[in-house]
Amino acid sequence: MTATQERPTQAGETRILTLIQAVTEAMREELARDDRVVVFGEDVGARGGVFLATAGLQAEFGPRRVFDTPLSEASVVGAAVGMAVRGLRPIAEIQFADYMGPGFDQIISQAAKIRYRSGGQFTAPMIIRTPSGGGVKGGHHHSQSPESYFTHTPGLKVVMPSTPYDAKGLLKAAIRGEDPVIYFEPKRLYRAAKGEVPSHDYTVKIGEGAIRREGTDLTLVGYGGVMPDAERAAAALAAEGVSVEVIDLRSLVPWDRELVLSSVQKTGRAVLVSEAPRISNFMGEVAYVIQEQAFDSLLAPVGQVAGFDTPYPYVQDKVYLPGPNRITAACVKALNY
Amino acid sequence: MMTASPSIPTTLPLASPIEPFSPEPLRWVAEDGRPVRDLPARYTPELLRELHREMVRAREFDRKLVTLLRQGRTTFYAQSSGMEATQVGLARSIRVGHDWVWPYYRDHTLALAMGVPMIDLISQCLGTNSDLCKGRQMPHHFGSASKNFVSISSSIASQVPPAAGNAMAQKYLGTDEITLCTFGDGATSEGDWHAGLNMAGAAKAPALFVCENNQWAISTNLAAQTASPNIHIKAKAYGMPGFYVDGNDIIAVMEVCGYAAEWVRAGNGPALVECLTYRVGSHSNADADAEKNYRTRDEVNSWLARDPIARVEGLLAHLGHPVDAEERADLISAVHRAVDADVLKAEATGQPDWRIMFEDVYADTPPHLREQAAFVRAEMEGQK
Repeated sequence: MTATQERPTQAGETRILTLIQAVTEAMREELARDDRVVVFGEDVGARGGVFLATAGLQAEFGPRRVFDTPLSEASVVGAAVGMAVRGLRPIAEIQFADYMGPGFDQIISQAAKIRYRSGGQFTAPMIIRTPSGGGVKGGHHHSQSPESYFTHTPGLKVVMPSTPYDAKGLLKAAIRGEDPVIYFEPKRLYRAAKGEVPSHDYTVKIGEGAIRREGTDLTLVGYGGVMPDAERAAAALAAEGVSVEVIDLRSLVPWDRELVLSSVQKTGRAVLVSEAPRISNFMGEVAYVIQEQAFDSLLAPVGQVAGFDTPYPYVQDKVYLPGPNRITAACVKALNY
Repeated sequence: MMTASPSIPTTLPLASPIEPFSPEPLRWVAEDGRPVRDLPARYTPELLRELHREMVRAREFDRKLVTLLRQGRTTFYAQSSGMEATQVGLARSIRVGHDWVWPYYRDHTLALAMGVPMIDLISQCLGTNSDLCKGRQMPHHFGSASKNFVSISSSIASQVPPAAGNAMAQKYLGTDEITLCTFGDGATSEGDWHAGLNMAGAAKAPALFVCENNQWAISTNLAAQTASPNIHIKAKAYGMPGFYVDGNDIIAVMEVCGYAAEWVRAGNGPALVECLTYRVGSHSNADADAEKNYRTRDEVNSWLARDPIARVEGLLAHLGHPVDAEERADLISAVHRAVDADVLKAEATGQPDWRIMFEDVYADTPPHLREQAAFVRAEMEGQK
């Protein structure tokens, strides 16, 4: 697998979009391209979703294609399974990742297993889009990072973009794929992340990471909402003469082991960043594979910066989240080992 | 699929010839086999004999599979004995292979009556290479794409929201298909059951929900399951008609479910049917001593006396076309021979090897699974 450039390399027009605009654009283009695509969830129709990810889509495609559902995540996810089995390409929105609980059984017992348990006779190609992560003053019911629950369930693909380019390309890849995909949207980057997005059609392959910054002294791996802070930390260290390579995983299942391992074999040091609680954090899997596959290259223990094993706090969210300072400190610790 | 402001009907949009919410289960044939109302002309002696044959076939299939279990050739079995009128009647109420079915785990009689070859069901129970599901699930979790009979999850009521979605897709695609979703009485206590019915109601989706109320969820009876006097009454909460039918009267099941299916197909939205029947066997081999701990022999005997097969035989006798003992015995031994032959045929295909563990997790095999498959391959080769 190869690293994808930070900027699109294809010819053609690009515009500066925010991450959420890129999500909307992906859905708009796929709705126009494929009549099997439907978009639904709580308040996604006339309201356009609480974050406005589906703004304008019902007006453009009508309530047959883009519609509101009852306030029931089990229904939203379950209906997506049934629609997918019967031949549609449903894009279901769960309003906040914190509310995936009522739909959890539908995800793990139906979406994740129907291909396997039926011997491939029935499949559920579907997308669950959901805003996740902290940094928007949402307290613990609007800020959690539940991705590890889903990475632990075979049959699901799990992705989380951090740039507008990836947001559009990964969502399109998910819609055109044949598997159920949990598509986490780092909500604090919805409008904070801006970048060039081609107006033409493209996809970003699920399972490939991206090098955001090349470096030789240390590999900094993250995904989702922590990526801007990881890049800030790398810039701060560069000012001190330290060359940090920054990798954005983009996909958690499957994840780009080759990209991470080749980087760590080059740098000899790795610091892994995510804002989810520490215990059973997905980065624990990344750390395991690094020590198993690149043990001889390591010059320092693999470092991890994560959330804490507390419910997500309301007032102290800046303390809870890995910021550039904590990430930088973890890098310094690895460099001075 | 849905309007911006879906309106939930407060009254039935059609004046129906079969009234929902009847206080007692609707019945066409009394327990002694005498019709209690006029039989529609389609119930000729030939059709009744055909139904009788299918019910006997299912009953004997059940017996044979329990024997296989006792011989240790399968690991689990959930009998549907006593529920044949409900399941055979249901199969006769839909367009098999055209409509879609999201069943539950006690539906093998439904599958047989839909024309699923016996060897497909036996292969699934044995987990042989002839199993369409590739030996990936415990017995009784069957699925068949050719019949649109969707693979079964053990997670109770988890088929209900997907059935709503399946029906929403049928409506979206402009088909004249419906979705049949079955479940037991216990499932109606699950959140997903209510979520699914609510969704189907709000979307006015062509879903026919059928409760095979056999009155026992493992060891929990209906009175402990819900404070509602019955199941079909719950349909009112979701803006759909609820029909109450004697699930041991196959004529009643076919009349009510057939009517409800066409009412749903006509675009009126979903409907719920409650077929009142009884699980005369235990829940599964895991609680084979049901009568010793949670229910009385008298209760079971009172339902054995209302046997659905005996009722059809009573009706045939009443119509002057009795099933004689020899005919019945021939039928039973033919089923036993067919099961024995299919068991041998299925077992002869062998068991799937380790490779099936890594296939069908995803459409393509991702690198980590390729690596894990290679690990198992090396282990297997090391054992040679």
